[in-house]
Amino acid sequence: MRRYIKIFSTFARACLVRDMTFRVNFLLECLTSLGWMSMNLAFYLLIFSFTPEIGRGSGWSREPFFAFVATGLIINAIVQTLFMPSASELTEMVRTGGLDSVLVRPLDAQFLLSMHRFDFSSMANGLVGLGLLIWAVLRFPVAPPLIAWLLYPLLIVCGVAILYGLIIMLAAATILMGRNQSLYDFWFYITNFSRYPAEIYAGPWGDPLRTVCTFVIPILLVVNVPAGTLARPLSGEAWGMVVLTFAAAGISIGLSRIVFQAALARYRSASS
Amino acid sequence: MHTSSETKSDRVIEVNDLAKEYRVYDKPEGLWASVRGLFHRKNRIIHALRGVDLSVGRGEFLAMLGPNGAGKTTFLKLLSGIITPTRGTARVLGHVPWDRADDFRRRFALVMGQKNQLWWDLPAAESFRLHQEIYRIDPIRFAKIRDELVDMLGVSHLLGQPVRELSLGERMKLELIAALLHEPEVLFLDEPTIGLDVVAQHTIHEFLRHIQKQRSVTVVLTTHYMKDVAALCERVVVVTHGSILYDGSLEQIVDRFTTHKVVTLDLENPPAAGEMERFGFSCEVHGPRVSLRIDRSRIADVLPKLLASQPVRDVSVEDVPLEEIVAGLFRGAAKRQAGTDPDQEVGAV
Repeated sequence: MRRYIKIFSTFARACLVRDMTFRVNFLLECLTSLGWMSMNLAFYLLIFSFTPEIGRGSGWSREPFFAFVATGLIINAIVQTLFMPSASELTEMVRTGGLDSVLVRPLDAQFLLSMHRFDFSSMANGLVGLGLLIWAVLRFPVAPPLIAWLLYPLLIVCGVAILYGLIIMLAAATILMGRNQSLYDFWFYITNFSRYPAEIYAGPWGDPLRTVCTFVIPILLVVNVPAGTLARPLSGEAWGMVVLTFAAAGISIGLSRIVFQAALARYRSASS
Repeated sequence: MHTSSETKSDRVIEVNDLAKEYRVYDKPEGLWASVRGLFHRKNRIIHALRGVDLSVGRGEFLAMLGPNGAGKTTFLKLLSGIITPTRGTARVLGHVPWDRADDFRRRFALVMGQKNQLWWDLPAAESFRLHQEIYRIDPIRFAKIRDELVDMLGVSHLLGQPVRELSLGERMKLELIAALLHEPEVLFLDEPTIGLDVVAQHTIHEFLRHIQKQRSVTVVLTTHYMKDVAALCERVVVVTHGSILYDGSLEQIVDRFTTHKVVTLDLENPPAAGEMERFGFSCEVHGPRVSLRIDRSRIADVLPKLLASQPVRDVSVEDVPLEEIVAGLFRGAAKRQAGTDPDQEVGAV
């Protein structure tokens, strides 16, 4: 384990060195990312100028909702910084045979493939998310209890784990198909669901969608459960969702491992 | 076939009936055919390797020769555990390669001339550091080996330069250093000199020869360059259409597949037309220079007569160039293949 941490930090250091080499590009990426996020926040402020709450009686009034948005920003920033650059590169590695050099290394291939490239510019969003979370929580009518503060970081880790599992399964599809350029698009469509409170998925179309996105592809648990734990009282149902999120994270990691290993066994390599 | 007296423990690589097939989509031309292909696909099987048997002893330097698509790279990918076979068995250093055991992967290295294994945007020194962590090389040992290899190839001034800014030859030298840092017992080299100039090729030949002797590394090299083979290898395996056509020494390949030698004469004066043909076949005359092909069994008889027939400035007797012998082997195999298996296209992926 210590070796993996050391290799992880070596990769991180190397990526930071690379990012610093192209410093203008790095700054532009930070600015683009922050610009996009600012537009989103302005859009939500606009919505709250028309309504005091998203979903009647849902508890997502302005400050709790901004805590929700902040949680989404933090989780996405972690995923975008740590895993997404490597996953995006995988398609090209499979197509060109670059995966070959990974498979001959005496190291877990999943670790090497999913954590060899980082995008530190995405951390900017996470830092803003952290600031937004503090701003929002300080304005809560009732401060979150200690148990909520203890659960919050663990549930953030669970949210990241669920998304990581999903990325790895999409990456495995790349290995099996030889080419999967829609990986990033599919990722964007699916994670779009996680960016809004689960309560908005209601009615004849919304209910089945909510069920699928909670129990089949547990994308709705990723942000809703940690944000809900902090922003709303921990009721019996909320505890159920917490347990479900821990279980979904474990299953997601386990399943992704099985699918990824099966895909590697079927790897065909590319012509030299 | 190669016969050796090595004991079983000396055999570093043992391969039996190793075969690899690929199912590929036979894509027809045209838009309409492509649309139909969405619903109904015609696949075909490519036999990249067809039941290969091979045994390689510790410290051997073996060259695999073959035309494009013969199955050489597929063979190396199987022995490195990158891909799994359709059938057959292989053991490298006592391990089944495609089990991808860490203990096995720590003991070999693969260098692919057409693929970059160093970090493109970073200096090689950073890639080496990463290598040290991945292969768990003791820091003192790592520094010693790195400095030794860097000195041998004279690339100390390149270590701090991003890999993307290096020439192909410089990059290949650094790729070789990266591959040797963990002191592998087996080294797979897939066309390491491809695209390199003569000086870089020579440097890499010298380096590989030295390393192989010094460390008794078992090397399997695939190449299209006969210069690589002549400079480095004692044993040659010729592969065509996924099968081994020849396995033996470099000398034997000449003895077995040629019946004549090439005699080149520099005469005082150009010979009269048709004068030289009586001594041999395939006579080429360029002014006073004459090149003749003479049956090996007749050389001793013919040469004195030839030298007595004209005033001669210089003479040389050589084997047929290796390139020519191997090209002849490839052509012969291609003809046989076309005769026996006309419907199935063959090639490596």
